[in-house]
Amino acid sequence: MTPTVFVAGMSHRTAPVEVREQLALEDDKLREVVAALAAQGIAAELMILSTCNRVEVYGVAEAPGEARAAAFRQLGAHRGVGLPSIEPHLYAHSGEEAVRHAFRVAASLDSLVIGEPQILGQVKDAFALAQSCQTVGPVLNALMSQAFRVAKRVRTETEVGRLAVSVSSTAVELARKIFGRLDGKAVLLVGAGEMAELAARLLMEAGAMPLYVANRTLARARELAATLAGIAVPFEQTATVMAEVDIVIACTAAPEPVVRVTEVRAALAARRSRPLFLIDLGVPRNVEAAVNALDGVFAYDVDDLEQVVESNRRERQREARRAEIMVEGEVGRFLRRLQDVEVVPTIVSLKEKLEAIRRGELDKALARLPGASAEMRAVLEALSQAIVNKVLHAPVVKLRDSSRDGHGRRWTEVVSEIFGLRRPPDERDR
Amino acid sequence: MINAVLYDIALTAYIVAMVAALGHLLGRREGWWRLALLFTQAGWLFHTLAIGVRGVELGRLPLLTLSELVSVVIWGAVLLELWAERVYRVKVLGAFVLPVVVGLGLALPTGLRALALEPAIRSAWIWIHAALALLGLAALVLNFAGAVMYLLQEHQLKAKRPGTIYYRLPSLETLDRLSYRTLTLGFPFLTAGLVLGALWAGAAWGSVLAFDPLALSSVLMWLVYAAILAGRVVGRWHGRRAAYLAIAGFCVLLLTLGAGVLLQGRHGS
Repeated sequence: MTPTVFVAGMSHRTAPVEVREQLALEDDKLREVVAALAAQGIAAELMILSTCNRVEVYGVAEAPGEARAAAFRQLGAHRGVGLPSIEPHLYAHSGEEAVRHAFRVAASLDSLVIGEPQILGQVKDAFALAQSCQTVGPVLNALMSQAFRVAKRVRTETEVGRLAVSVSSTAVELARKIFGRLDGKAVLLVGAGEMAELAARLLMEAGAMPLYVANRTLARARELAATLAGIAVPFEQTATVMAEVDIVIACTAAPEPVVRVTEVRAALAARRSRPLFLIDLGVPRNVEAAVNALDGVFAYDVDDLEQVVESNRRERQREARRAEIMVEGEVGRFLRRLQDVEVVPTIVSLKEKLEAIRRGELDKALARLPGASAEMRAVLEALSQAIVNKVLHAPVVKLRDSSRDGHGRRWTEVVSEIFGLRRPPDERDR
Repeated sequence: MINAVLYDIALTAYIVAMVAALGHLLGRREGWWRLALLFTQAGWLFHTLAIGVRGVELGRLPLLTLSELVSVVIWGAVLLELWAERVYRVKVLGAFVLPVVVGLGLALPTGLRALALEPAIRSAWIWIHAALALLGLAALVLNFAGAVMYLLQEHQLKAKRPGTIYYRLPSLETLDRLSYRTLTLGFPFLTAGLVLGALWAGAAWGSVLAFDPLALSSVLMWLVYAAILAGRVVGRWHGRRAAYLAIAGFCVLLLTLGAGVLLQGRHGS
């Protein structure tokens, strides 16, 4: 039996939250579990990822099935959950499937909200925890460092994680599509409300400033301005301030529109056709619908924003398909690297062995030639080196080729056998 | 003729690049964009060679016949497109510039007729006149592409139904800046080119605006662009209005070239 990469676990896809929460452990407990499993020697390498949406064991073992059972028995033991009640929710992958799964998880393609950014950090934390428990070997190391690279590629080369899927962040994204950079763009917040405040805060995080706050009660405006680092303005002056700002967020409980076409038209004349972005979060609406028809004005109400969120979601799905193709390529690349990991230790020990023989025989020969000149020593040195290199050439090439053809393991055994290489099992994957 | 072969290679490369650029705009493969960039660059190199070889064959700058002029305009437009794509990070620019380039390239009269230029006006000044005007026109091709992109993106934002183009196109601000920049780049060249031409015409024929269809429509084109620039600088016309005017200006530009093709005048056929 040869060790293989495997992953086993449960996620939002396979297990309800009642089951997942029973296995979710805090870092200290997780450390104990990892250490205990390592002590059992059931897997050569091991790492446990535990988030609110998934509990997964990644590892390298000769018998992945046994390792999986042992790992989940340990995980369940903390809450007194037996393996039989966990097992039905588990999925298990090994080899290529496991590699693909690891990459998809890290790249947030398997997440509940595809492209959400937290998962990568969680995978990194899990990896760090395993490293501190010294259960990471060459294979997991290679797997995870490539998984991090894949995640980064997906994030930078696709829009999977970039498109906003909430109303407030979609408003910010739209502002970017209109104004480009938001640095120094002035914002007016009329009214109050959780979503409106969040949108204002996000805009300011993106560089927008100053923020003016207007409210029917000036005291409330002052209060809100203080918490948002804005400037309170009297409610009657909203129309005047509108000529100065680039973005207006309206969120009042007023029964009729607060921002009217006539006011906006007047503001536009004063702003010499710089664009104006109106975000209407009020229900009933705070901005007259006809405002959107004005040149340079973009007025979005809650329904419009929801519609953009919806198409962002669809776009994310489409981008996710692109990301999947990217992941496929990376899986192939990783498997090729893994095959090299298979043959490289054999090549190294073969070289070491021949070098040791060469050194020994050369020293013996030189001992028999006490009067040898420096020139002669150099010739002998070169001669022995050349012989070793020539002998090495064929087996090394064969090993490298065989690893590409997928016969690496067989040929490492053949070569080790023929040359009598010492290969203790724990150094197999060095 | 070797330059015709080189020119055909260049044009073919532009066509491939255009298809790839449109594929990138509507599909979502980064590879398409790289392909488009590669073919645009290759096409431009062959185009440069073609122009150079023609210059050597003729023993003069290849700026006399209309086909030579158009060829240099699209050569300049491709160069500017490669530059602007880098500076403004607008990867989809090629999808808007290349169709214009290919359109002009295919419409280009293939006869390569010699110009019936009167000996009186042959002088170094005429080359400078032509070169400056052509550089201006090349920048205006980009101005047009920027305006089209602006209107498309503005429409998406107004309609509130984001489609593929919404995700692909950059911000309105970037597009507005792109068309303003190309206008301010192209206009001085165009002006200098036309003024030189007019001065020369005055010296050669005794009249600054001797009846010549190309000269007259050039003046009309210049007026349109002058109005847009004035509107943008003084009246701060941004956005949609500027974009519509840029498109109108480009239509006059095409008419100007058309006038040069269809009507006989002192610029020759």
